[in-house]
Amino acid sequence: MSSQTVAPRAGPVTGLYPALPAEERSGSRGMALPRLPAVLASSSAGPTRMSLFGSTSGFGTGGTSMFGSTTADNHNPMKDIEVTSPPDDSISCLAFSPPTLPGNFLIAGSWANDVRCWEVQDNGQTIPKAQQMHTGPVLDGCWSDDGSKVFTASCDKTAKMWDLNSNQAIQIAQHDAPVKTIHWIKAPNYSCVMTGSWDKTLKFWDTRSPTPMMTLQLPERCYCADVVHPMAAVATAERGLIVYQLENQPSEFRRIESPLKHQHRCVAIFKDKVNKPTGFALGSIEGRVAIHYINPPNPAKDNFTFKCHRSNGTNTSAPQDIYAVNGIAFHPVHGTLATVGSDGRFSFWDKDARTKLKTSEQLDQPISACCFNHNGNIFAYASSYDWSKGHEFYNPQKKNYIFLRNAAEELKPRNKK
Amino acid sequence: MTICQFFLQGRCRFGDRCWNEHPRGGGGRPHSAGPVRGAGGGWGAASQRYANVIQPPIFKHSTWGGSGDGGGFSGASDFGSPGNKSAVFSQNRFSALSSAHPADGFSDEEQRLLDCVAKDMATWESSGQWMFSCYSPEAGKPNVSGFREFSAEEVRLEYYNCSANNNTENYINSVNQLVQEWRNRLQELKALNASGKESLLSQLKNAVTQPLPSLGFGGQQASSFGFPSFPVSSSSSAASFSFKANPSVPPGNAAAVGSSAAASNPPTFGVTSSPSVPNPVGSGNSSAPSAASFSFKTSGTTSGCGTSGLSGFGSSAAANSSSTAPLPVSATPSAATGTSQSGASSASAAQTAGASGHNVTSAPSAVRDGIRPERLYTPRSELTAEELRQFAAKRFTLGKIPLKPPPADMLH
Repeated sequence: MSSQTVAPRAGPVTGLYPALPAEERSGSRGMALPRLPAVLASSSAGPTRMSLFGSTSGFGTGGTSMFGSTTADNHNPMKDIEVTSPPDDSISCLAFSPPTLPGNFLIAGSWANDVRCWEVQDNGQTIPKAQQMHTGPVLDGCWSDDGSKVFTASCDKTAKMWDLNSNQAIQIAQHDAPVKTIHWIKAPNYSCVMTGSWDKTLKFWDTRSPTPMMTLQLPERCYCADVVHPMAAVATAERGLIVYQLENQPSEFRRIESPLKHQHRCVAIFKDKVNKPTGFALGSIEGRVAIHYINPPNPAKDNFTFKCHRSNGTNTSAPQDIYAVNGIAFHPVHGTLATVGSDGRFSFWDKDARTKLKTSEQLDQPISACCFNHNGNIFAYASSYDWSKGHEFYNPQKKNYIFLRNAAEELKPRNKK
Repeated sequence: MTICQFFLQGRCRFGDRCWNEHPRGGGGRPHSAGPVRGAGGGWGAASQRYANVIQPPIFKHSTWGGSGDGGGFSGASDFGSPGNKSAVFSQNRFSALSSAHPADGFSDEEQRLLDCVAKDMATWESSGQWMFSCYSPEAGKPNVSGFREFSAEEVRLEYYNCSANNNTENYINSVNQLVQEWRNRLQELKALNASGKESLLSQLKNAVTQPLPSLGFGGQQASSFGFPSFPVSSSSSAASFSFKANPSVPPGNAAAVGSSAAASNPPTFGVTSSPSVPNPVGSGNSSAPSAASFSFKTSGTTSGCGTSGLSGFGSSAAANSSSTAPLPVSATPSAATGTSQSGASSASAAQTAGASGHNVTSAPSAVRDGIRPERLYTPRSELTAEELRQFAAKRFTLGKIPLKPPPADMLH
């Protein structure tokens, strides 16, 4: 019962507060854990590692949110933890490491052509670890299932595999147009990387070969995709929506008529009570999310859409401002979902009770990406410009942020009435 | 009984309880929401009489135990449940009463769609949402033509590429042009005239999905924006990209912009699904790659001459002359494909016609993995004499239009 070693806490992490400099984990977990990839295992305490990244932002960044701001700046109205050394341009994607890695590691791809990796400790400290570059903006990134590789997709029409052990990245995919989505597929009898591109193809790559294992044509440019084995959902331009089944080999399962009226922007698959993927949530530029089940008992009743990220709420008489839904993420444990939008807010929803759980305060920039960590304790969201208002509102000097929030409590489902 | 004068004006406060007579068909005028507010009971009775068609918007929000503040779920009411038409009727509660005489000869269903389109256009204009998006009035309906679709990332990448080449002017001009096109199309749809309505409705009823315009937004090449470089000296409109800009730029202003000049003359074709293509080249043309995508969809045969173009390239040239097609089924502003960067929104017919030929010959180059060229053309051996004759003729004869694509050597 009373173990002498420092054991990782089970259950919700309560320590995700803005870091107090004095308190520091000794780093000795004591128990036998799988070996971390070299890059990630290099121990460091505190912000001394910040110079690892190209342009440093100074020492005090990590604690800005804690020291408070003298000016009335709204960059962090929710008082969440700021990740240190955020990218220098807009963040396009966020992803946490899989459960096979001990601890939490976050990667973020940005329009500054880089992808960065941080370690997120239980006390909320974030330690920059490494970064890799592309020759064009990075649009998407994901982890392999064993946590040893990170795959990144970029506007330079390639996708790369970043081996964290050796801190080397090699190109594994080639398209004719920017690669918009990248996902790792782990099936019982095969594994591969799936890339979706604006060249209207979906390609599957064995990372050892320069030619794709398979190419599937899409009706239009790929805009977003999600993979939860054995299902993959891809949304394209012109309101295209296709579901694939991935057993044995990827094949098209069904083309679905879009439940939304406007451009598709993001998609996320959800699972049922027995952990099988059963449907997806689809967000559009028109402040609306559709929940769609693949084989519902009663489609007319089970599938629905809801409005979100609008300025006036349910008051439909006055003209509202309508914002795009930039990202959707499902909580891995509770099954509730989070949406982030161009209005600079995030919201939590319970799709089974069809209620909203929470809406945040408004940040001063759009929120461009979000994700949960593997056990749902941490919700990460990125505050950076998403081009929703064109080039005039783009300020290259404006700082971009990634915030971390304790998500264990706020996303508990509402009890159905 | 005496006829209730207020009811005739659409503003009787007593509703069902009124002691005067409310004649059917006499109240088909919209009225303000005055008496509705508290009169849930009154409307309840009315709605029973009118078969549940009218549902006051109040009920929508109390159905789900939402937390009350903004963004509550609208349940299945927007699209899911077919019976709920309150989205439209909330503006005109008496429209059911006048259903005996549908206006303009449109059925209820069609009228609903048209109203929906008009309403959505108004919302789109005022809401500040992303402009470069496709649109459809209802789930399951095909996209309304004339809206070019770009994601924010594509536009942003274009900006980054242009500024790397010190070419931001080009970007700004192109974007302004796109914005102008969008605005024109939106105004058109907000105030459709009769023929506009006809063609919109037929568009929506036709093939499940239109062949997709593939817009070369500078896709493959670095700085070719897929736009003609018009003498768009609209440097004054450099700031006009901001989305909430007052759309009071009259369409006449568009005349200053070369390509859109054609837009001001819609009547020629009954439909201008896009301001910048006066030429009903439409569907078949748009798509080297989308013909490739076609291989997944319908089974290679089209449902009629109207939806031509889906069955391959060659027939599109002939289909242009087929007179029955409701014109441009999905006339795209850009005839060019991603691969054939022939300057997308070509205003001149000659160029477009040239582009059509261009597209056809570039079809093989558009072949991607998994698409075999044989599927785009039929070998002569497989065609009957009648079909060959049709292909050889100048125009298709109604009723004899071949369902298979023509052989490759018959093109031009």
